[in-house]
Amino acid sequence: MSSERSLKPSSHPSSRRPTLGGEFFVPAVLALITLVYLISAIQLGPPMKAGNMTASFFPIATAILMLVALICAMVHALRGRARASAESSSVDTESHAEIPSGRQYAGLSLGAIGVIVLTAGYLLAFDLIGYFVATFVYVLLLCCLFGGGFRDKWLTKLVAAVAITLAGYLLFEVVFQVRLPTLWSQ
Amino acid sequence: MDAISGLLGGFAALANPETLLYMIGGFLIGTFFGAVPGLTSVLAIALLLPLTYSLDVTTALVACASIFMAGMCSGSITATTINIPGAPSSMMTALEGYPMQQRGEGAKALGHAALGSMIGGSLGALLLMVMAPLAADVALLIRTPGKFSLIAFALIVIIISQRGSITKGMIATLFGVMIATIGIDVVQPLARFTFGTGVLVQGIDMMPLIIGTFAISELLVQADSRSTRTVDPSMIKAAKVRRRDFIPPLSEVREIGALRYLKSAVIGYAVGILPGAGGSMAAFVSYAESMRSSKHPERYGKGNPEGIAAAECANNSMCGGAFVPMLTFGIPGDPTTAIVLGVLVINGLQPGPQFMTQQLDLIAPMFASLFVSALILIPLTLYLLGPYFLKIVSIRRDVLYSSIAIVALVGSYVATYSTFQMALALVFGVLAYYLRKQKYPTVCLLLGFVLGPSLEEYCRRALSINDGNPLIFFTSPDSLFFIALTAVFFYFMVIRKPKDRGLGTPPAG
Repeated sequence: MSSERSLKPSSHPSSRRPTLGGEFFVPAVLALITLVYLISAIQLGPPMKAGNMTASFFPIATAILMLVALICAMVHALRGRARASAESSSVDTESHAEIPSGRQYAGLSLGAIGVIVLTAGYLLAFDLIGYFVATFVYVLLLCCLFGGGFRDKWLTKLVAAVAITLAGYLLFEVVFQVRLPTLWSQ
Repeated sequence: MDAISGLLGGFAALANPETLLYMIGGFLIGTFFGAVPGLTSVLAIALLLPLTYSLDVTTALVACASIFMAGMCSGSITATTINIPGAPSSMMTALEGYPMQQRGEGAKALGHAALGSMIGGSLGALLLMVMAPLAADVALLIRTPGKFSLIAFALIVIIISQRGSITKGMIATLFGVMIATIGIDVVQPLARFTFGTGVLVQGIDMMPLIIGTFAISELLVQADSRSTRTVDPSMIKAAKVRRRDFIPPLSEVREIGALRYLKSAVIGYAVGILPGAGGSMAAFVSYAESMRSSKHPERYGKGNPEGIAAAECANNSMCGGAFVPMLTFGIPGDPTTAIVLGVLVINGLQPGPQFMTQQLDLIAPMFASLFVSALILIPLTLYLLGPYFLKIVSIRRDVLYSSIAIVALVGSYVATYSTFQMALALVFGVLAYYLRKQKYPTVCLLLGFVLGPSLEEYCRRALSINDGNPLIFFTSPDSLFFIALTAVFFYFMVIRKPKDRGLGTPPAG
């Protein structure tokens, strides 16, 4: 099934133009972050005062070096794309390696998106409903995500969720005496 | 004399049942994390970091040392038996170990790996005990401009050691430096990059960065996989090993020779001292040197115990070397020592030239733990658990990664009892996931974050005491030495690149 899915996009490789992937977009996003950082650094004041460095000198220098490196990385990515585009008409073997094995959204696989959403939900629930309920539900859902759904060996997943929640409680609250939030302590 | 009695006191501290328990427990955890493909000992130590808030500093350091040592040798288990290195440092071992496994000599290969690890690890720990006080004396001679040049040297070597991706190494390092500038300025009482929020005034804590970079990003990477177990059970049936075959024949050990073990240990130790090199580089360099100087280079790649011995001896000896710059200069060269530095900082300790003399009672048990882990725990664990290794590491992924998620996230909560730290860990995890997918070395991000503040502080202090004259970096002898050293490394690692010898490129770390 998975091999079938991975082969589908390459059915007409010669007609596909290599697109700008993470190789370009990761440095591009970092460049945006760096620009915001550079503007904030400039707003801190002049980099030198009375012959001495101020609080803004080092961040400005770091940001400029970073932008130069990011531009190099983006140019490299664009050149790579142009090269791949030239090669794709004659050789399509390399493009096979670039094809992701599953669906991707903003460079994230469905599994990774699942982990992020579940973890964000856990962080919200942790303070609201306390360690026990939040952790049990989070672990159960993670077990389903990593273990191929809830239907397959559901009892094992349920037992694992209870055991991991209890083990976490024993480790942090009992052994290391960390006060974990509870539903009724809020 | 004081130093010797202090070091011996470290061994006596291991007699404390609680400390001993943490050493053995740390070793078993390190063995498990090192052996499971995808997990590393760095992740194990990262997960331990939050617990150090509640642990005694000596106990935490002892556990870190045993995890480090175990993680370096246990990668050879899956490298040999199923040709999947449990850790990057065992890639060279797989080249020789797996052909031996296919010949039915898998147990013997594991025996050679354990023997090499035992010798290399013990020699590395001994060299650390001997050399660290000497290095501390040298460190006392380095003044502020020299300290700046030393840190700059460390960062530049970390970047240029990312063979084939120097630009990416530079980006990751600078991004780490940028993150470290958030919060109160290192010299003036001025808040930087807080964007009007109070939570950022105190800066970004090391814990969410480490947990996010090494634990959360690993969860995201592993979420892509569809398998239900860490190691395919069908591979375990095909790779049976018997306990009685573990002891390598004396004739083969003699053929490898004491000199080979010694040379590999020294190579590993020296590579360990270098910033950014790590266990895989140590194993790679030692393996290449062993092949170059071997009487039978044609046997390499076909199941040669000599190659296993050279690689494993070097990567375990690296553990001792890696602690030298961290303890004497406060400069960690790899993620493990960066996390150990975090353990020290959490407990209000700052490594530096005087640290070795003033706090020897705290760190001597860590040295002893490195030595005992290598000399006793490596062979003992192989003998007792060897036949069951593959069954142990073939664990259900849902249980494993759910457990890691809980320890990582609740561990982030421990530092400030706030979910903000947990949220930061998630943010850094997603960021590190993207960086890892595009092959940006996240180790550089961590080391840039750790070393960035010191780089800025020493730079500004050096200039302020010299009326802003940058020539001080070229007129101060210690600073000039490190600038010259940087130039030498740049020449040999970038301009005149090392020959590949057909072994490929070792991954960083």
